[in-house]
Amino acid sequence: MEAKREDGRSATQMRPLSCTRSILNRAHGSASFSQGETKILAAVYGPKAGTKKNENPEKACIEVIWKPKSGQIGKVEKEYEMILKRTLQNICILNVHPNTTTSIIIQVVNDDGSLLPCAINAACSALVDAGIPLKYLAVAISCCLSEDEYCVLDPNKLEERNMKALVYLVFRNSILSVLDEESVEVGESIENGIITSVTHGVMSVNNYFQCLEQGRAAIKPLSDFLRKKLRSKVQNDVSVAG
Amino acid sequence: MAGKISNTPATYTPSPTSQNKKRPSTVTGSDWVRPDGRGLHQCRPAFLRTGAVNSASGSAYAEFGNTKVIVSVFGPRESKKAMMYSDIGRLNCNVSYTSFATPIRGQASEGKDLSSMLHKALEGAIILESFPKTTVDVFALVLESGGSDLPVVISCASLALSDAGIRLYDIVASVSMSCLGKNLVIDPVSEEESYQDGSLMITCMPSRNEVTQMTVTGEWSTPKIHEAMQLCLDACWKLGKIMRSCLKEAVSAPEE
Amino acid sequence: MEVDAFRRLFPLRFHERHLLESIRPDGRPLGRARDTTIALGAVASANGSALAKIGCTTMLAAVKLEVMTPKAESPDEGCIVIDFHMPPICSPLVRPGRPAEAAPVITKQLTDIILSSGMIDLKELSLVSGKAAWMAYLDIYCLDADGALFDAALLSAVAAFSHLQIPVVSLNDNGRIVLLSEENSGAMWEKEPVNKEKRKLKLDTLPFSLTCVLHKNYILADPSAEEESIMETYLTVVLDSSMQLVSLNKPGGPGLAQTSAIQDCVALTIQRVKELQKILNEAISDMEVD
Repeated sequence: MEAKREDGRSATQMRPLSCTRSILNRAHGSASFSQGETKILAAVYGPKAGTKKNENPEKACIEVIWKPKSGQIGKVEKEYEMILKRTLQNICILNVHPNTTTSIIIQVVNDDGSLLPCAINAACSALVDAGIPLKYLAVAISCCLSEDEYCVLDPNKLEERNMKALVYLVFRNSILSVLDEESVEVGESIENGIITSVTHGVMSVNNYFQCLEQGRAAIKPLSDFLRKKLRSKVQNDVSVAG
Repeated sequence: MAGKISNTPATYTPSPTSQNKKRPSTVTGSDWVRPDGRGLHQCRPAFLRTGAVNSASGSAYAEFGNTKVIVSVFGPRESKKAMMYSDIGRLNCNVSYTSFATPIRGQASEGKDLSSMLHKALEGAIILESFPKTTVDVFALVLESGGSDLPVVISCASLALSDAGIRLYDIVASVSMSCLGKNLVIDPVSEEESYQDGSLMITCMPSRNEVTQMTVTGEWSTPKIHEAMQLCLDACWKLGKIMRSCLKEAVSAPEE
Repeated sequence: MEVDAFRRLFPLRFHERHLLESIRPDGRPLGRARDTTIALGAVASANGSALAKIGCTTMLAAVKLEVMTPKAESPDEGCIVIDFHMPPICSPLVRPGRPAEAAPVITKQLTDIILSSGMIDLKELSLVSGKAAWMAYLDIYCLDADGALFDAALLSAVAAFSHLQIPVVSLNDNGRIVLLSEENSGAMWEKEPVNKEKRKLKLDTLPFSLTCVLHKNYILADPSAEEESIMETYLTVVLDSSMQLVSLNKPGGPGLAQTSAIQDCVALTIQRVKELQKILNEAISDMEVD
């Protein structure tokens, strides 16, 4: 049953992750995130004054610009922009800075599968770097379903092409609680929720829920990784009081 | 699964193109029978309905034979910030074609022309002083182009304006006429328009007996123009009555 | 305060008062979609067309067939190009010259779903292997935008393809494909017709969709534009006739979706697919009777 993947990973094993903060020093916040060979650079500018025409002025507005590695901006990029914008609308606290616009620019440096989840993780790190108030972090993972109904996490480009169906999932990060076990019940129902889910390809409903469960398995390692990477800067920062 | 088709290959339509058709010699003679069997001075039956689009302030749908048009009116709403203050209202018109409006896909290119002509036709009829500082937007979409598009768009637009409650001096009716040799043909279809020697389009306000726009192309002798104008004005008068009855029905029907 | 003023000033509270009674402002129960109608053959000059209305949302879809040379890697396959337009007439938010934000996204989603659901076998669009194949241009125009745009667009696309009739053509001496018109079909048959008679496409499984809005623990099926703009979290489930999941799309939004909510939405979609299948079959049989 254990399908052998090309690079020897197990079904629930992710590719090596790496995240670097404050890469661009002109941007208010920036981060570079890579999962295996897929690398994305995210930059945040904001909050800037004024909202766009049709947006609600009582809330902050988020604008996403997606720059592909090569070629012109087409429908694929517009779809990614829309998904990213709505996902970030979920995690940002929009009431803190009403009537402002925060722009996030995503630049694809290399695409080797799992592009959208990598971009979401990068955007999230860049937002933290810029100091935009967030409710929680977003943790994104992609799962694909093979012909014999086997679920694997974090496929690379070759695997994506050969698979029957693909699911991108975004969850909120796991809670590191200082309270003891009684609070686990509350934590479970909150952690249950998905922020975003996008599927490609035909699969049965049960397979989808299977992928969902597999995806949840990746929340903890990703959250721990992000927490470690995003915390270290603050401790060394002398300008932070206290 | 979806392959990236970044450049669509060149395609052609298998149906015979009408440009190669030579105009039959009977067209200019006295025994020309129109493709749909109408008399030379007979207009197409009109089907008009208001309230076609729910999201708009006012809208209308018109079907004259094969020409089908939907017009929506939005407003009066806030003018763009870039515009200067004006104590009379503004009118903004836009006409576009669907890609399946013409028999050959993607052929219609007269959108901009028609937009400015629609603007000029309606400007004279709207009481702009009744909505200062704001803009009324009139958007038209031609679903199918079967000849004589602009007159249908103008008539439909004035119905939509009435449906939206914008104050007008009078409703605007419009009819066009083609000159095929000796024959004067009213409300031409696209086939007749492709053979025409000249055309005349009149937009008028029937009850006030005023013309808001008149467009003449091609070669016309003076007596011909007089004859054509008289025929068009009669047709506009009749069309105006049909439009009024359509508006009255729309209002009286829900009350029942 | 008047009802209309309350609705404009405090839209969320207005809707929540209704949700407490398990009803929506237009009188529907939470899980019911709006009245749906399909009219086939709305555009006479196109090879296949359909007008779909869900409540007030109206979509006009038309398929036009043109001939192209197939790509070298797949000489037996035709091609489908889907385009979704939101002309300025459909909504006060769309301006001429500045296309709506939703349009390219819906185009891409429709393309993905129609191509991946296996509804159409591209080999059926082939004419002469390696030399000529059909390119089907599907244009969908939104005539009135009142919520659930994707559902109506998918429904009209599926109906247009069900109505599509491939015309009879033959290969003439220059190597071009020419339409065989009705008059010369009996008279002369110098050129063999490439396809025998006007035929319809064989459609395998048809995809149908339902958009649901999630608000706290309420699930509202088939939202109107007002509901969509107030409660911004929506989830679109696309199932095909054999109840396989073609797509489950929840593009973020302020609320989270629990697994139980997703399961409820899938159950609502299963019901809706049966309804839509029935409506489409009725529309097709009405056309055939004529």
